[in-house]
Amino acid sequence: MSSYAIRAENLSKRFWLNAERHTSLKARVVRGKLPRGHEFWALRDASFEIERGSTFGLVGQNGSGKSTTLKVLAGIYRPTSGSVVVDGRVSALLELGSGFHGDLTGRENIRLNGAILGLTGKQVDAAMDKILDFAGIGEFIDLPVKIYSSGMFVRLAFAIAVSLDPEILMVDEVIAVGDEEFQRKCFDHLFDLRKRGTTIVLVTHSLGLIRDMCDQAMWLEHGQIRKLGPAMEVADSYLADINEREVQAHQVSGGEESAANESKRLGSGEVRITSLEFLDGEGKPNPVLLAGAPCTIRMHYVAHEPVSHVIFGIGFLHESGANVSGPNSGRQGSWSLAPGSGYVDFVIDELLLQPATYRVSTAIVDRGHTYDYADREFDLHVRGRGNQEPGLTRMPGTFNDPVRVTQMAPTSASTLENLRAE
Amino acid sequence: MSIAARPRSSIWAYRFLIQNFAQRDLKSRFKGTLLGWAWSLMVPLATLTTYSLVFSVFFHSTAPNFGNGRTGFFAVWLLVGLIPWNFFLITILISMPTLLANGTLLQKVYFPSYVPVLGAALAILVQTLIECCILAVVLLVFGNIGPTWLLFPVWLALFVVFVTALALSLAIVNIHVRDLAQMVNVALTLLFFLTPIIYQISLVPTVWHGIPFQELVRLSPITDFVTSLRQLAYDLQEPDLTAWLQLLAWTAGAVALAYFVYQRYGLDIGESV
Repeated sequence: MSSYAIRAENLSKRFWLNAERHTSLKARVVRGKLPRGHEFWALRDASFEIERGSTFGLVGQNGSGKSTTLKVLAGIYRPTSGSVVVDGRVSALLELGSGFHGDLTGRENIRLNGAILGLTGKQVDAAMDKILDFAGIGEFIDLPVKIYSSGMFVRLAFAIAVSLDPEILMVDEVIAVGDEEFQRKCFDHLFDLRKRGTTIVLVTHSLGLIRDMCDQAMWLEHGQIRKLGPAMEVADSYLADINEREVQAHQVSGGEESAANESKRLGSGEVRITSLEFLDGEGKPNPVLLAGAPCTIRMHYVAHEPVSHVIFGIGFLHESGANVSGPNSGRQGSWSLAPGSGYVDFVIDELLLQPATYRVSTAIVDRGHTYDYADREFDLHVRGRGNQEPGLTRMPGTFNDPVRVTQMAPTSASTLENLRAE
Repeated sequence: MSIAARPRSSIWAYRFLIQNFAQRDLKSRFKGTLLGWAWSLMVPLATLTTYSLVFSVFFHSTAPNFGNGRTGFFAVWLLVGLIPWNFFLITILISMPTLLANGTLLQKVYFPSYVPVLGAALAILVQTLIECCILAVVLLVFGNIGPTWLLFPVWLALFVVFVTALALSLAIVNIHVRDLAQMVNVALTLLFFLTPIIYQISLVPTVWHGIPFQELVRLSPITDFVTSLRQLAYDLQEPDLTAWLQLLAWTAGAVALAYFVYQRYGLDIGESV
């Protein structure tokens, strides 16, 4: 046994893209020789090694060749050139439930999938209880899988893939389905497999997962390796690249947002917000703000008539629709504005929003009266520096050292462990 | 040159998977039907009855005498020919779309593309064996039994390998040329009537308008297999060495074809379906 579970040398995969892939005999007779179409290199000259027992992450944008790589490693595709040697029994989880036959029961499908993974009937039966336990779908196991909910499908498929004791597990971003509890169970199990020495190859868009789980990572771009090395370094470079792209993209399209869509505006309109400007800690306009850093949101307005007692407000909404926060100037009193244009700065000492894109609404009101309301008209992009917490906002605070209140005998400690496991 | 990440395994290593595919086929085929398994016998029975009625009663066709000297019985004689034909027909018809039907699976997991085809053939073989048992009982009733029956397993082995190899070749080519299934359908109907199953080959004119029909009918491998089965099960005669060599040649040819087609077109099914 070598120390590498997977060794790939100069791996390339070419596809021929033609409009009609499947041809009829008629077409062949009528048109003679078929055009081969355009060639497309989904993977080009990739060499890498995956150490036995390590976890290897594959990142990259959509269409960068991650899934092709995984399919080549799983043996589904043959490389066009180069070689790949995989040493160990592979269990690939490329799409959950794809190996299921609708008319067969869950139990029968487990046998079928076990056989696909190269196990004998006895080996599958030995793992049966573990699978049933992990999937936790109860009496449904003896019913045809076509009546399963998608959640049950996912549970069963994942349970099969991880319980049949693979030596090498390949996972293509499928864990992002299922309910919260099941997801946690999956991750716990992946960690457990990793501890037991299973080699894991993981395709994911989640840099958090790469940082948390992977030892090594490979960043693919247009089918070529952009960076290969320790997971942390690769994740950081990849993130930096994404941020840079985002900044560039917004500098090109920036300014368009300032043309406020008057017709969609609510309110009486004596005074309007014309544009929002995001300034970074150094006071320079920047379309992407950095989480945890100081910044300023500049609200440009134009008043057509003199108005008094006005209050400015900003609302931050996450893409999911959650209203994250909505500061307004009401606490500081109200202002009177003379006709003309100007701006109001909202100065933020430390941006607590976590990296994401937020929709921003603005409002100018006078107690019950609305002068101007721009509903989710602006976008705020927040990027991180790595090392982020989950959630929409940070929660400032510190954890104190543990304080022991009662003493416990060691045996009961393990009972507690069991309780927690349940 | 490239080296793929595939286990270097033989067909034997995939026996459990083949068996599973066969079970899956058997289970899903009659699931939800009223009569279930009985259907697998109803269809051949209906065919047998119809052909017997039309040819024996309406057309007054006669069957040769049994090997034990008794007067021939058309339905029994026909059954001996229909069993191998049905195995051939159904295996080809079910195998051809089976790779397409398992397309999603082939795109997600690696296993050799011959596995689902062999599974399908195995499932049909199970039914054919049941039919063979019924035939044996019928022949026993007529007292038509002899030592040539011992050659049946040899004949069966050659026939199963021949049919499966042919089915595999067609199934793989069908992935690339999608209207092959329709063509084969037509060809099979013609082949049925050009094979001495419902008639004795002696009825075929040797030459008709300059066309050597009897020679043409004899050219078909199915004719060889059907004739030799009738010889050893019905006529209780041992097929001569030439006949055996002919069967062996057909089988070897089919295996060679399947091997070529599989190596040439069957290794990248995962990206072609």
